[in-house]
Amino acid sequence: MDTSPKDEQAELLRFLYACPVGLIEIEANGAIGMMNPHAMQLLLPLASTKMMVNFFDVIEAYAPDIRNIVQDYSRKQGTVLEGHRIVVKPARPDRGSEARVLSCTLVKVSTQFFAITLADVSTQVAQERRLKQAETWFSSLLDFVNDFTVISLDHAGFINGASSSVLRQTGFNEAELLGRTLELFSPEDTSSDRLTVAEQMAIAARDGWHLTEGYHQRPTGKRYWCQRLIASRTLSGQLCGHEKAGYTVVLREVERQDMDAEKLTNMLHRDHLTGAYNRLRFFEIAERECLRAKHYGQPLAIVAMDIDHFKEINDSYGHAAGDLALRSFAQTCMSFLRPTDIFARIGGEEFVAILPSTALDEAVGLAKRLRTSIRDIEVAVPEGVLKMTATFGCAELVPNSSTHLDLLAAADQALYRGKGLGRDRVVRSIAVASPVEAQ
Amino acid sequence: MQDSSGMATVKFTDLSLVELEGLSDDELDALPFGVVGLSVAGTVEVYNRTESHLAGLPFESVVGEHYFSSTAQCMNNYMVAQRFEDQDELDVVLDYVLTLRMRPTPVRLRLLKSASQSRRYILIER
Repeated sequence: MDTSPKDEQAELLRFLYACPVGLIEIEANGAIGMMNPHAMQLLLPLASTKMMVNFFDVIEAYAPDIRNIVQDYSRKQGTVLEGHRIVVKPARPDRGSEARVLSCTLVKVSTQFFAITLADVSTQVAQERRLKQAETWFSSLLDFVNDFTVISLDHAGFINGASSSVLRQTGFNEAELLGRTLELFSPEDTSSDRLTVAEQMAIAARDGWHLTEGYHQRPTGKRYWCQRLIASRTLSGQLCGHEKAGYTVVLREVERQDMDAEKLTNMLHRDHLTGAYNRLRFFEIAERECLRAKHYGQPLAIVAMDIDHFKEINDSYGHAAGDLALRSFAQTCMSFLRPTDIFARIGGEEFVAILPSTALDEAVGLAKRLRTSIRDIEVAVPEGVLKMTATFGCAELVPNSSTHLDLLAAADQALYRGKGLGRDRVVRSIAVASPVEAQ
Repeated sequence: MQDSSGMATVKFTDLSLVELEGLSDDELDALPFGVVGLSVAGTVEVYNRTESHLAGLPFESVVGEHYFSSTAQCMNNYMVAQRFEDQDELDVVLDYVLTLRMRPTPVRLRLLKSASQSRRYILIER
């Protein structure tokens, strides 16, 4: 017997309901047409039930630039995003939680019809991290068996042994190396954006390993491009992450790969609309900067900022004007920051500046200057001139205790207090009102 | 309109587990809201006509299936499925969004479970 259209529709629905991947259909403005239960399962924790009518609104807080990427896509049809990763919740290694990451593929079918798949790839992301670690080991240790040097460091980073190939590769013999640190290999003009040896060791102590590439220098002054793996050795019988017996370092001279990879990396790290760093990159850098600040005992401050009543700007002037406002806001902020500062867009109208070597008072000072400049911005829109204000929350890293996530939370709290007090102001975090701060 | 929906609201929140168990299939089918009854294992035992109509699935295709994994993944979370696992007694109403016939649809859910009875119920009001 042939199946009736009604049965067929029921079968189709059954299949779509049971599909283990999120399926969503949207219009160009993000309005959700259809979605299956799996998509709802993935999106419900991200937004209130009322927001579940517009895809862009739902993911605004996590991937604000998807709206712009879709709107800027000029071809009639094609793949707009493929496996685009959205960090829904950053990892908290200190609490043993992995990141929650969604993978989003978005295809433009026609001007008003976009098909989206969503999948939770958190497990894959965690697996990739572990795989990468294993791969690094194997490629370093097996691929070029005859062409690497192994150096042993004690727990403080001093060299206490080297393999016989050390002279050939580094130009130093073992006796010259003993008691020295890996800094011996660094050229004098190593750029400051690279991690120091101590920072690399700290990462190795935390994650088990750290791999880096860069110039090394022989005693003759001649440079060579070197891949360097620092792996922490754990004392047998002790738990990982506790006292380390020392480090094993593998050095391997490699051909320098001139990369377009850097351009690609830039694309992956930047917010499409504003040019600020994106959320994904923000969490990576914030973690690294906190580690660095703690290691050197230097202050580190962050300023969380949020454009006031941004939703009303969007509602009254439209998203295009909203985008202009976001761009002007970001440009103004970036013009005030030092090259070492990091400026990121972490939500729809939420931005953060990471200020290395900066104490809370200086951060507050900067935020005050930013606040004044934001008030001066005039965005030309068809209706006339759009003005805006913003609220700022400032916090400083508490040595020993806090992580980058605590730091962001403290700045956020200050920001929300500022919102509660009437917006357009700078508020300092009270979470760090330690005796040091009470001046 | 006001009256009938008013009536429905009263019944939606008032109907007890014991009363639900006492209803005949026809009486369940006549209710203006969806009724899904689940076994301890989570398979569908009761699926009334309203729910069948809202979801677009015939009774035969749903009954005996594991509800949260085959039909209603969007309720397979801490807000709904987990609550049935965690609590012995349950009678709560919550606002929710389902994907009935693949359309995001705001609904009210009522979750019912009692220690004295093995079958649990989800009532769905559009």
